[in-house]
Amino acid sequence: MVADSSRSDAGTAAEPADDRLLEVENLQTVFHTERETIRAVDGISFGIAEGETLGLVGESGSGKSVTARSIMGLVDSPGELLPDSSIRFDGRELTGLSETQYESVRGGGVAMVFQDPLSTLNPVYTVGNQIEEALSLHRGLSGLEATEKAIELLEDVGIPDAARRVSEYPHEFSGGMRQRAVIAMALACDPDLLICDEPTTALDVTIQAQILELLADLQEEHGLSILFITHDMGVIAEVCDRVAVMYAGEVVEQAPVVELFENPRHPYTRGLLRSIPSTQRGADRLETIEGEVPTPNAPATDCRFAPRCPEAFDACREVHPEPVPVATETADADADHTAACLLYPEDETREQAVDRHAIEDAPPGAGAVDSGGESR
Amino acid sequence: MSVVDDEDATLRERLADEPVPALRVLAVVAVLVAVEFGALANLVMSLPWDAVGAALPGFLQGAAATIAGVGDGLAGLPTLLSRSVIDNAGYQLPSGEWVGTFMGLSPAAAWLLRVALIYAYGFVWLLVGWWSYLVYRDNYRHADWAPVDDMVGRFRNHSWGLFGLAIIFAFVVLAVFAPALGPTTVDANIADPYLHSIEYYSEETGGVEEIYVGDANGESQSRGQGGENVGPMQYDQYDRFHPFGTLPSGKDLFTFMAAGARVSLFIGVASLVLAGGAAVVFALATAYYKGLVDLGIVIASDSIQALPQLLVIMLASFVLSGTWLANLYNGGVVLALLFGLTGWPGLWRAVRGPALQVSEREWIDAAKSFGQRPSVTMRKHMLPYVVGYLLIYASLTLGGVIIGVAGLSFLGLGINAPTPEWGRAVSAGQPYVATPSWHISLLPGILIVIVVTGFNALGDGIRDAIDPQSDVETGQQDQTAAAGGGA
Repeated sequence: MVADSSRSDAGTAAEPADDRLLEVENLQTVFHTERETIRAVDGISFGIAEGETLGLVGESGSGKSVTARSIMGLVDSPGELLPDSSIRFDGRELTGLSETQYESVRGGGVAMVFQDPLSTLNPVYTVGNQIEEALSLHRGLSGLEATEKAIELLEDVGIPDAARRVSEYPHEFSGGMRQRAVIAMALACDPDLLICDEPTTALDVTIQAQILELLADLQEEHGLSILFITHDMGVIAEVCDRVAVMYAGEVVEQAPVVELFENPRHPYTRGLLRSIPSTQRGADRLETIEGEVPTPNAPATDCRFAPRCPEAFDACREVHPEPVPVATETADADADHTAACLLYPEDETREQAVDRHAIEDAPPGAGAVDSGGESR
Repeated sequence: MSVVDDEDATLRERLADEPVPALRVLAVVAVLVAVEFGALANLVMSLPWDAVGAALPGFLQGAAATIAGVGDGLAGLPTLLSRSVIDNAGYQLPSGEWVGTFMGLSPAAAWLLRVALIYAYGFVWLLVGWWSYLVYRDNYRHADWAPVDDMVGRFRNHSWGLFGLAIIFAFVVLAVFAPALGPTTVDANIADPYLHSIEYYSEETGGVEEIYVGDANGESQSRGQGGENVGPMQYDQYDRFHPFGTLPSGKDLFTFMAAGARVSLFIGVASLVLAGGAAVVFALATAYYKGLVDLGIVIASDSIQALPQLLVIMLASFVLSGTWLANLYNGGVVLALLFGLTGWPGLWRAVRGPALQVSEREWIDAAKSFGQRPSVTMRKHMLPYVVGYLLIYASLTLGGVIIGVAGLSFLGLGINAPTPEWGRAVSAGQPYVATPSWHISLLPGILIVIVVTGFNALGDGIRDAIDPQSDVETGQQDQTAAAGGGA
């Protein structure tokens, strides 16, 4: 398989796929526009084990939400998944499923919590009505039974006076309660994997904390796996077991959460961590990463972060880096920590490292599309 | 809201808690229905039940026959506003005394009385509708305020819309009560004049004579300059009163118009139900699936819109004229079908935009993300946002359909003669426009203009009422975008 070639030497990063609930390999989601093809997600691979929370972090426009939608099968025309992409959920290949087949995966298998709870709820139906809709689909409940279950779910997500609240409309709920209701709706489907697409972005900080706590509780209770998408490193630190850092449609670094915060290897991750206000006490100005995320419209032939990278050297503009294991001796031996950067592996000379990336990069990129370079 | 507990009560519980206002409304409605019950039963019995009965299995046919007997009995009940109660047909003795009319009134006075009563009755229904809305709002509705209150408020201040409502009210009453409103009936005067006869006082014989309506019609023709003429509000020589005058054939124009209103309304509403249904289904499908489905329907609708609608309808109604389809409702059904089939692209275009807008909302994604079926997602999460637009555009298009049907009848196509249709009256009167028989063309023509204007006004009013921004003076910029459609 072509996808494997890019990760063959990635060491511990390539765990056996069988024991993980979700296995995404070489996912490429492109959007065809009249002028160009936007590679919103460009060959990312990650997996989520049962009961695990994976954080997907990155700037706006780095492809986080498209990844989520790809997993849900919600990529509409003009978007499509390229044929090499593979999404295996519970041992079942999801790419290439028909719309009807996908309906059996959505909700019961994978459910999703969207960013803005107000727009996720239909304003013309009561909250209870919308939860019952999911209940009738996935648990075959209807009528009084469904209402009781909906009340139970609302209680589960910590909505006080649920019996009365169940017949209220979304506009009668506060922001935090709406998000709780949306989570209740997702739980009504009894999913194995919950995709949370920036579930706390639209909420204020105190409510954020409550929602994160709630998600942690629910995860424990229901044995959920969670894919948590956010741009907030603070949130990542709080909820995730492992983190994948995305930049311009690629995963540039992947590591367990403690390892990532203590020992960030990719210059982009370091930049991200430095731009958290609370970690930079005493500094006059908050550090930022200059420039903005490029829009990838051709297969990568260089490091997409190079123009913004403080540590970039000449080879960065010619060789596309591949994920390599970067765990240090101090860290846990099987800490599965990879970074896609020409600076690594550190124990090799720079030329050796660059060659290694160049060779690994060759098979998938060779001759596929002639290297038109990046438009920045 | 008085008590907290009230908020959870269902409508049924709230009704049970406070039944008096609802019962009051119900009592008035019952009285209104009772006085016209016979007419209602008559209408029900006039549907082609024979066909249904024949299709029933044997053991049900007996039951059906019983029901039919009961129905016929009910249909025979006297109704307050019928011709037989307030009769305007009679003859005048040389003494000036009227025989046969209601309380000895002159036919004109009797007819006017009946018309006034029927419109009053219709108006009472309108008031009852308004009253029940108020009762519901003040006594039973969960919320103190709902957006619809503002819509009603805006519409009440929209004089152009109210004008439209008044016109459409008059038109609908004319269509619904057509058999009772005309000074005579379609059956007796237009369809089978030689199967019916009238009595009149003959000065030659000095006594009351009987004559076939057909023969009488021959003496009451309107043939313009130099010929005979029975103009508006005149009596013919058999003491029959003609509010709108007579047709060149001597038939009563008002009876013709009232029956024609029924036909026009039927075709208009039926074709719009068809076109609107197709438009909504297609709009939801295109907005939900986008891509190829959208493209396919865009091409289909463009192809249909590229054809001149009236010309296609003419061709098709001519081609279909010999078939069984053309005989249903005297050709009304085929016209409704044709207007529906050629009219959906216009409506579809109007609702496609809103449907696309709704389809981008996140709750659609949410519904997809928990595995909801597309059909349910469309119906439950998209349809409610589109229906309002459809109503507005449908009411704006209805006038166009009525003009279209009249135009076809004017050309001698469409509704089969002798079934009344407004356009045929215009056509019949065309040679006499500049003569004393001007009324034959002019009155139907004016009515068509007024009714179509009324539908447009009503549509404008509804649109402005639904749009909350129309309170502001600047909220009127999209006026032209929605201006009249149809043929």
